[in-house]
Amino acid sequence: MSTLNINGTSHAVDVPGDTPLLWVIREHLQMTGTKFGCGAGLCGACTVHLNGEAMRSCQTSVADAAGKKITTIEGIDPHGQHPLQKAWVAEQVPQCGYCQSGQIMQAASLLAKNNAPTKQEVVDHMDGNLCRCMSYVRIQRAVMRAAAEMRGEPGV
Amino acid sequence: MTKHSKIDMPALSRRHFMAVTGAAGLMVGYAAMPDANQALAGAMSHPKFEPTQWYSIGTDGRVTVVVGKAEMGQHISSTMAQLVAEELGAAWKDMAITLASNDPKYNDPVLGAQITGGSWSTGMNYDAMCRAGAAGRMALIAAAAEMMGVPESQLTAIASHVVDTKSGKKLPFGKIVAGGKANKVFTADELKAIKLKTADQYTIIGHSVPQLDIPPKTNGTAKYGIDAFAPGMVYGMPVTPPVRYGATVKSVDDSEAKKVPGFIRAVVVEDKTGTTTGWVVSVAKTYEAAKKAGAALKIDYDLGPNAKVDDAAILAESRRLHEDGTEGFLFVKEGDAEGALKTAPKVLEAEYTTSINIHAPMEPMNALAMEKDGEWHIYTGNQFFTRTTAIAAAIAGVDPKKIVLHQHFLGGGFGRRLESDMVVPAIAAAKAVGKPVKCIYTREDDMHMDFTRPLTYQHVKLGVDDKGHAVAMTHDVIGAWPTARWGIPAFLTPSVDKKGSHDSFTVNGADYWYTVPNHTVKNFENKLAQAATPSGQLRSVAPGWTFWATESMWDEMAHATGQDPVALRLSMLDGLGDNAGKNGTQTQGGAKRLANVLRIATGRAGYGVNPLPKNEGIGVACVSSQERSSPTWTACVAHVAVNPETGDVTVKKLTLAMDLGTVVNPDGVRAQIEGSALWGMSIALLEKGTLKDGGIEQSNFDTYTPMRMSNVPELDISLIGNGEPAVGCGEPAVTVVAPAIANAIFNAVGARVRSLPITADAVKASMSKV
Repeated sequence: MSTLNINGTSHAVDVPGDTPLLWVIREHLQMTGTKFGCGAGLCGACTVHLNGEAMRSCQTSVADAAGKKITTIEGIDPHGQHPLQKAWVAEQVPQCGYCQSGQIMQAASLLAKNNAPTKQEVVDHMDGNLCRCMSYVRIQRAVMRAAAEMRGEPGV
Repeated sequence: MTKHSKIDMPALSRRHFMAVTGAAGLMVGYAAMPDANQALAGAMSHPKFEPTQWYSIGTDGRVTVVVGKAEMGQHISSTMAQLVAEELGAAWKDMAITLASNDPKYNDPVLGAQITGGSWSTGMNYDAMCRAGAAGRMALIAAAAEMMGVPESQLTAIASHVVDTKSGKKLPFGKIVAGGKANKVFTADELKAIKLKTADQYTIIGHSVPQLDIPPKTNGTAKYGIDAFAPGMVYGMPVTPPVRYGATVKSVDDSEAKKVPGFIRAVVVEDKTGTTTGWVVSVAKTYEAAKKAGAALKIDYDLGPNAKVDDAAILAESRRLHEDGTEGFLFVKEGDAEGALKTAPKVLEAEYTTSINIHAPMEPMNALAMEKDGEWHIYTGNQFFTRTTAIAAAIAGVDPKKIVLHQHFLGGGFGRRLESDMVVPAIAAAKAVGKPVKCIYTREDDMHMDFTRPLTYQHVKLGVDDKGHAVAMTHDVIGAWPTARWGIPAFLTPSVDKKGSHDSFTVNGADYWYTVPNHTVKNFENKLAQAATPSGQLRSVAPGWTFWATESMWDEMAHATGQDPVALRLSMLDGLGDNAGKNGTQTQGGAKRLANVLRIATGRAGYGVNPLPKNEGIGVACVSSQERSSPTWTACVAHVAVNPETGDVTVKKLTLAMDLGTVVNPDGVRAQIEGSALWGMSIALLEKGTLKDGGIEQSNFDTYTPMRMSNVPELDISLIGNGEPAVGCGEPAVTVVAPAIANAIFNAVGARVRSLPITADAVKASMSKV
């Protein structure tokens, strides 16, 4: 039995310690905003935060996640109004949308540390997150828009 | 082929396949579908809240559009809602969407089936959705006239209200619905007679209204097939053989699997539809147990007849078919190309190939199957409900009427979800264990068992006269035939000489809009590839390879004859004869519209304005994807830099121009062009699938490597909306990018690469020949 703290709520889960966190979140707890894409840490669709750091939940075991603060797309903002979520709507980023939870979680870990990234810093930070619809142009724009909002700049 | 809807699109008649009820194999069990207009009229006689099957209006004024198309990120659901809202007179804030089940009443009004592809949806549903909206408006106005005690002629519908143009009084739609008087019935003829708005009256069409499916895709609430659950559900992990197709299971030893806690049993899939071969499903209480037990199964296979097939064998067979020449089906026959080639003073000849490509949508294939009260409920995201219903029925062993498909958002479609394979292991396993089963492919299985874009081989011969005019072209197109595999005869096309039928979805685009007096195109099925690599439709389908060949060849001709590649194309886009297009159809304006987009793209790109640095080049291409009857005129200018030491290609900028006729949602169109142009670039440079020993070699995103953010070039996109009929925009840009890049590489370093993807090694090798 492991105890997972997800989005501020404790969940007791009875799974082997080597179970990937992804499947516990998605299938056992039915919090389906976090997506399965590759199971190998190659696409970023399953990105969540562990103590504020973006992690691939398909490569993180339940044993490693226990005792840490886990944040998923459902918990990044209580009202779904994180600056990145607002920017994602404003820039009309998602197409199929399947990768976008992971994209937002990945971007959030950058902006939490650096709210004035350069374009190259955004690319470097986001390059592990695949978007098969190739909405990359808009993802970039939305990250920049959210960063501007977080800096308190007017007019965004 | 029976009489279909009254919509006059004769060129599309070959797709009215629902008319061929029970024609073959999988089709047995299909019920005849009612005429679309009759269905609409029937629905119109029903409840007040549901003016047609396409939408309902609540007493709160909420207009919920039922989307019969798969929503895979092309935002077609919003497009449908825009068309309805425009004529209904609804405010955009009141619009909502829901996804249709497989009830035949949601069949496409032109196609007579539920299928999403071909960039067809907007063009084919434009009229029906507008009429549905208009009918609702007329019903609401009739009811409001009664409620307000004024004549209908005095009323209009604006922003979800019926407004009295004299007094200014207004009634909200919701209140009219609550009044229960909105019950006007339309016959099919009355529907057809409705006078629709003209473009100058539009207030919603043509505007970048926010896409309705986007907010739930930013907070984790959007539901995809993989997100479905059912009470008492267990998990199925498909265990697939090492060959793509043709294996059979000889025996299964589950002694090790039984040691995995939660393991229920291994189910050998009996698939009489032939969708899968040699699959076993490991069923367990949890996903991870199903996966672990699946890996522990010891399965003895007969690998079947395709176990030695590889790319080289497929290519060799294609070359043999070309040299033999007798098995081709005539797709284009203008003049006497073979004769004219014999006398042409200059003849260019080249082979163009494209590799296997893998769809790899981000959401791996999946389905949840549950039997309840004699009905089978399938939860999945799928592009072809009509066919999936038939396959599900065959696997479940029930009448197709007992199959209920619950549509979800698609985590990428790209043609992959035109296939129905995901329902096969789910139903087979659910039947075997008597519980709902959710099957989720691993990424590895998703790639190994993809219905790939086929490996294609094309041979082009081009005759040029002394004045530098193209006088003859012969063009052989050879590969597997994805659509023929579906076994739906009406999807096939008679050859020009009526000697047989062929899969024109593998050769579309070769019937281009350039005027060439002698032109022969032949389409060949490579049966070796057909058997070993059940191929599929991959975003843009045939134009993704046919234009690769022809747009490369025009560039080769321009250089060989000292002509400017743009001027050469413009000279052949004269819009004469058949290339004039047909008024009242999507082809209206014909080749001259293609010339126009070519001028716009080259102009935007500053073509020929400034000299480029060494090892940089600009290349052009223009296309009429997808089909001769549904062209979306598109041009691209690619600017590349080539590293002469390594052959590495960097795309600096893509400039695209697209003529959409009527642009329903400009921002949505831009999003589609951005995505599809980058998809085209990804296929041009980064994605290569290979077959060895009958199996797809790539397993995951380390070996199959679609574009990432760091590869993205500058994009410049121009939309042309000129009031012509609306056309599709999700695919055409895919087809134009690869030849533009190849032509740019030639201009940069003199390397002519004729094989996709363009690798650094191939560029380097071609440079050494210069």
